[in-house]
Amino acid sequence: MFAFLFVGRAAFAQQARLTGTVISEEDGLPIPGVSVVIKGTFTGTTTDINGSYTLPGVSPESIIQFSFIGMKTMEVTYSGQLVIDVTLSPEATGLDEVVVIGYGTVKKKDVTGAVSTVGSTTIDRLKPVKVEEALQGTITGVNVTPQSGAPGAGLDIRIRGISTNGDASPVVIIDGYQGDLNTLNPNDIETITVLKDAQAAIYGTVGANGIILVTTKSGKKNMPTRVDINSSFGMQETTRVLPLLNATEYAVILNESYAANGQDLPYPDISGLGEGTDWQGELFESAPIMDNNVRLYGGSNNMNYSFSASDLRQDGIIGGDKTGFQRNTARLALGADLASWLKFNSTLTYTYINRSSINDFGLGSVLFNAVNMPATVPIYLPNGDFNLAPANLGIEIINPLQQIANTFNDYNLNKWNGNVGFDASFAKHFTATARIGFNTTTDKYKSFSKQVDYGGKVFDVPRSSVYESRSNYNDYTFDAFLTYDNTLDKTHHITGTLGTTVYKNWGDNLGATGWDIPNNSWEFADISLANGLVDSKTTGSFSYDQRRLSYFLRGQYDYRGKYLASVMIRRDASTKFGPENAVAYFPSATLGWIISDEDFMGGFEKLNLLKFRLSYGRLGSDKIGDYRYISTLNGEGTYVLDGQLVTGRAIGPLANPSIKWEQSQQFDVGIDLHYFNDRLEFMADYFIKTTEDLLIGSIPVSGIFGTSAPGAAAPTANAGTVRNSGFEFSAGYRGMVGKDFSYQVNYNLTLLNNEVLEVKNGTGFVDGGSFGVGQPLPARMQVGFPIGYFYGYQTDGIFQNQAEVDAHPSQIALGAEAKPGDIRFVDINKDGALTSADRTNIGSPIPASLMGLNLTLKYKNFDFTAYAFASLGNEIVRNYERTQPNVNRMAYIMDRWTGEGTSNEVPRVTTAATANNIFSDFYVEDGSYVRLQRMVLGYRLPENTSMKIGIREIRFYAAINNLFTLTKYQGFDPAASSGAPVGSGFDDGFYPAARTYIFGFNINI
Amino acid sequence: MIKNIFNKTVLTGLLFIAAFFFSCSDDFVKVSPEYSIDSENYFNSQDDYYMALVASYDLLQATYVNVIVGEIASDNTLCGGESPTDVIGWQQIDDMIHTPVNSNLKDVWNWMFAGVQRTNYFMEFKDKIEFEGKAQMIAEVRFLRAYYYFELVKWFGPVPLKLDKRFQLGDETSIPRSPVEDVYAAIENDLTLAIADLAETPPTVGRVSKGAAQALLGKAYLYQNNPAKYPLAAAELEKVILSGKYSLATNYNDMWEMEGENGPESVFEVQYTDVEGAGFGCLQCSEGNVAVGFSGVRGYVGPLFTPGFSFNVPVQKAVDAFEPGDLRKDVTILDIEAWAADQGASYTTGNEHTGYFNRKYLPRKRRPEAQNDLNLTNPNNYRAIRYADVLLMAAEAFNRSGDDAKAQTYVNLVRRRAFGDLNHDITLTGPALLDAILQERYVELMGEGHRFFDLVRTGKAAEEIDGFVTGKHELFPVPQEEIEFSNGNWQQNPNY
Repeated sequence: MFAFLFVGRAAFAQQARLTGTVISEEDGLPIPGVSVVIKGTFTGTTTDINGSYTLPGVSPESIIQFSFIGMKTMEVTYSGQLVIDVTLSPEATGLDEVVVIGYGTVKKKDVTGAVSTVGSTTIDRLKPVKVEEALQGTITGVNVTPQSGAPGAGLDIRIRGISTNGDASPVVIIDGYQGDLNTLNPNDIETITVLKDAQAAIYGTVGANGIILVTTKSGKKNMPTRVDINSSFGMQETTRVLPLLNATEYAVILNESYAANGQDLPYPDISGLGEGTDWQGELFESAPIMDNNVRLYGGSNNMNYSFSASDLRQDGIIGGDKTGFQRNTARLALGADLASWLKFNSTLTYTYINRSSINDFGLGSVLFNAVNMPATVPIYLPNGDFNLAPANLGIEIINPLQQIANTFNDYNLNKWNGNVGFDASFAKHFTATARIGFNTTTDKYKSFSKQVDYGGKVFDVPRSSVYESRSNYNDYTFDAFLTYDNTLDKTHHITGTLGTTVYKNWGDNLGATGWDIPNNSWEFADISLANGLVDSKTTGSFSYDQRRLSYFLRGQYDYRGKYLASVMIRRDASTKFGPENAVAYFPSATLGWIISDEDFMGGFEKLNLLKFRLSYGRLGSDKIGDYRYISTLNGEGTYVLDGQLVTGRAIGPLANPSIKWEQSQQFDVGIDLHYFNDRLEFMADYFIKTTEDLLIGSIPVSGIFGTSAPGAAAPTANAGTVRNSGFEFSAGYRGMVGKDFSYQVNYNLTLLNNEVLEVKNGTGFVDGGSFGVGQPLPARMQVGFPIGYFYGYQTDGIFQNQAEVDAHPSQIALGAEAKPGDIRFVDINKDGALTSADRTNIGSPIPASLMGLNLTLKYKNFDFTAYAFASLGNEIVRNYERTQPNVNRMAYIMDRWTGEGTSNEVPRVTTAATANNIFSDFYVEDGSYVRLQRMVLGYRLPENTSMKIGIREIRFYAAINNLFTLTKYQGFDPAASSGAPVGSGFDDGFYPAARTYIFGFNINI
Repeated sequence: MIKNIFNKTVLTGLLFIAAFFFSCSDDFVKVSPEYSIDSENYFNSQDDYYMALVASYDLLQATYVNVIVGEIASDNTLCGGESPTDVIGWQQIDDMIHTPVNSNLKDVWNWMFAGVQRTNYFMEFKDKIEFEGKAQMIAEVRFLRAYYYFELVKWFGPVPLKLDKRFQLGDETSIPRSPVEDVYAAIENDLTLAIADLAETPPTVGRVSKGAAQALLGKAYLYQNNPAKYPLAAAELEKVILSGKYSLATNYNDMWEMEGENGPESVFEVQYTDVEGAGFGCLQCSEGNVAVGFSGVRGYVGPLFTPGFSFNVPVQKAVDAFEPGDLRKDVTILDIEAWAADQGASYTTGNEHTGYFNRKYLPRKRRPEAQNDLNLTNPNNYRAIRYADVLLMAAEAFNRSGDDAKAQTYVNLVRRRAFGDLNHDITLTGPALLDAILQERYVELMGEGHRFFDLVRTGKAAEEIDGFVTGKHELFPVPQEEIEFSNGNWQQNPNY
């Protein structure tokens, strides 16, 4: 693809003067501002307004380098010419670049669906620990939420909203076979392509939540071996510490709450209490993170190879060595041309993961204890032992440092995955591809329950035990397909693809508990040493086997590259579908119109591309439970006879023989616009995604069916519909100022609207989530509202005096009669009384908009990158405050109501019965946030300096992750989410994200 | 050249044929789950029936909620707990402000119907095969079904009846709530048929005996408030008394300890154990007595007992109901202040602290084998039907049928055990005797979950229970979700 022209006029001179002109291949016009440099020196100049340059003092055999942004860099060896004229052609990183779309590739220009990519450059700039993090803020329509800030924690990806109340995660295809993102080393990835609309329909029943296609790095032909080394070291600290009461403030509040209920003051003398224990300060610590990667790659004439290895170690900011994550990978990729018509490619990856964790989520987690422990309680007793949490704090709260000291667990994973594939161009216009990819994983987990007495708490362990589990997971994906590609008459370009995919996923697990660990110590915690006996079953196991068989056909057509169309259809059969619905069909179509190629658009010179896209299709999801169409006796029916446990047999979950896949109809219309030699890129999409036949599991049914018996559950039925609609917009601009400074700015915006259209289960809603202790379920999937919206009471300030209480309907049904200082709830249905029927929509965890902004600046050898991400409109429920009279409180309680007119937001404190703790919008906070994910400043050593020691490039960099988060949310981290469609958004004390200060280097040899 | 293409094509063609063979047909995806048993093809051996029988017993353990809420609803105890909003559903029932939206009432409905459904599963296939001992098993299943329906009719009144097969999807909109008389008729029928086939001594401890079925039948007759049934009740209960298989325990205290489980006074006892772990996620799955942990003394450290959640706390009025010299008082009521002072124990106080606890069902010292969550795995069995209860019911039934002599005999057996002497016999007759018998039920059965239903059926609830509204609170409301599921087929109980 090199099209250059050079005219050389021979002349012989040493250290001569060189002149010439640079023109553009596209229009033949001269290009000003082209950098003309003698390679390896600082000698250079730029072309003037006429595209001409003059370079004095050029020695023979030097290489003249011509570079300009957006153009391919040209190098010409000087061998005595007087004049070197050069024609530059546009860089292929524009529209000729090839994009993977599933069972094939298309040129970026010809893409007719909503497809976005993230390349290795972006991944390298973000240097995520887990791949999913690279999709946050970089692709429109994609929302990534961490499940916890703990090392090794998982992340949930949602493409174009939450389209199901089941598993809404997209399927990941790695090098053509189904795989898993969370064990991948991000440094091994070349590109990630996200198929967001009906373009994914070729994946049929796995396409409804979007498809993520990952292409891993391979070697390059005709390249001498290169070595890339990437290393970094960072220190992590917490991004947030909650403002809590100190010992004196706590005593004041407690005295007031006891007095309000007529009880004696617990702290008659508060003068000597001072600050007390800073539990959070004791728990949070700085923790290191180290990441080392090396890669060797290259290729000969008909072979290419890439070998890489990595080691990542991360400690947690809470828990020291009790929360740690280690990942080691080794990977080999080979490609070879076995014959001129036969290509072979293969990869093999080994991954090892080791992880330990603490209770970091929910009632009883370490942070929950730290937040609720009063500052008046010292951590240690005078003799050095841990101080037990007082009994008057309830039975759950324990000393969090003691909790960590008594937590022992270990998780190890060994995974092999790889693929082998052949592409045979066996006849003109025909290519046959056959490939098989596999994953096989074994993991083991051990957890030691040390015998410990916390002083009458629910976490007391009277008898030590160890739990061990071993699992084995395997799967393979086999593809075989035929591609026909031909251009008739130079105007009609046709591509046809016909093929089959076979997928099998199977595995098993064995778990066991051993009792009475010698010396009550982790060193001896193993089933081989645990000789204690119990009367009940101590072992458990499960196994599964799921398969899918698919056939697909796709036809693509374009007329002179201007009018584009494609149609596809896929047939799927899966073990998950009931016998009445065994086979599914998914058709779809996409259209494209490159308006900028039309004659009537000739006048717009600067316009490189204006493309209009349209797509519509049906996709499916089979992420439902197994064998829901069979009623099996896997319930629990245990009784006690003759003083012994006797096991019976009972029906488990109720069956549904007509169970089928979830189906989504997706519509997308979009525009792509490239301007100024592709320097300005702009993309906009509008989409509507309606997903029906949602598998609502455990559909609440009448209790008469016995579904709440032990081990039983209500049936799953296809009974719901959800619609996601929205707008995606992204804009990017890159430019240069002078020859030394270049910049690139990208902004993307996604606006999302989610609404549940149907829930056919008798009551019209499904509830879930949990708030407080013993309170009704606080989240719902209900017609007319976003999925998972918060269902509770609306508040209207605080009662300031008794007259206001009397003027308001009675709140007795909510738990207690209101008194001045209590929250006033709104009588939504205006029936004159506050009852559970007055609950309403008080918020939603789904953000209304997501934004990403990133900036890259380069000046000479310095580079600077900043990535920021924002989520706006999502709400979070504050659920980490234990409603118990003696626990610690958040600092906002200092603004409580203490008399008429003192506060209209925070109610009075008292130990008496009030309705203030029921789920209402008092607990719902705005979780919108802007987070500066990453800022990197790098310096590349000048080439001639590094070349002296034989290294192509050395770059040092300093980076900060999560430098700041702007948010009104009071909790630990507004980004974290449990990922559940109904029930997320309730913060039980999320382990917060870490701010990391990193120093690292890249060496490319 | 041509040869090359030929070879290429042949090679690729063969490859592809191989590929399609490998990918096979749709049968590839038709897999049966490994290691699973299909519910419609079960009941092929005696063992299968036995296991289904055991599963039918399982839901008896979930009746802990019936016991504790029955106490809280009555004038025996206050709800208690950690704070005024701890287990809101129970707090509201205690104050008689409960509504159809009450997760704990939903549990009673759900768990009792789950029991019915399991017995119906057995009954649906009862004729599939023949084997020796089947009649006994069927009889036990009938007893269990009657037990669950008896709970349902006491709590909710009219309930949907189905007796031949399991409830199927669609029944909730078509099967009506049968009137109370019909439900009792079904209970009587089940028990009568069961009695015919039950052994007097069951094959293993914990299974149903003939006496248990007779006692339950007598109780069902008595509870209907139907004068025609009182003589039937009296006759049935007398059979239990005259069988000679049961007797009053001589040491009232020891009857409630571990050693006293399944003793001579137990006519029917719900069995529990502490060897299986339990969690709050599935309280009905616990093999332990959840009510016991909930009733325990908050923050207790001391001899004999272990701590609990301080629910179900007896009130002074109940304590004062015992006459002087009544040996049952100190076994029924634990005066924690006195005990702590005497034994050097310590405790903390919860919501609505009265200073008293339900000593019969209080958590005792636990074995090392006891599994977590200790609060949910107490092994105290629930003495569902005691011989004393049978005697008192017989006394009441005889009095109401006109035979005061027999009534006095039976009630005085209970009195003599209670006072340890012959000086506290009752000699009243007629309505005064009835009141005395009912008073005796009050103190004898305190803490066992019967008081509320005794007050309701004798029309005394409004005067004894604060907040009780006649014409409303005799029945508990059918859970709101059930009304909605029935789509108009079921109406809510009056005034809810």
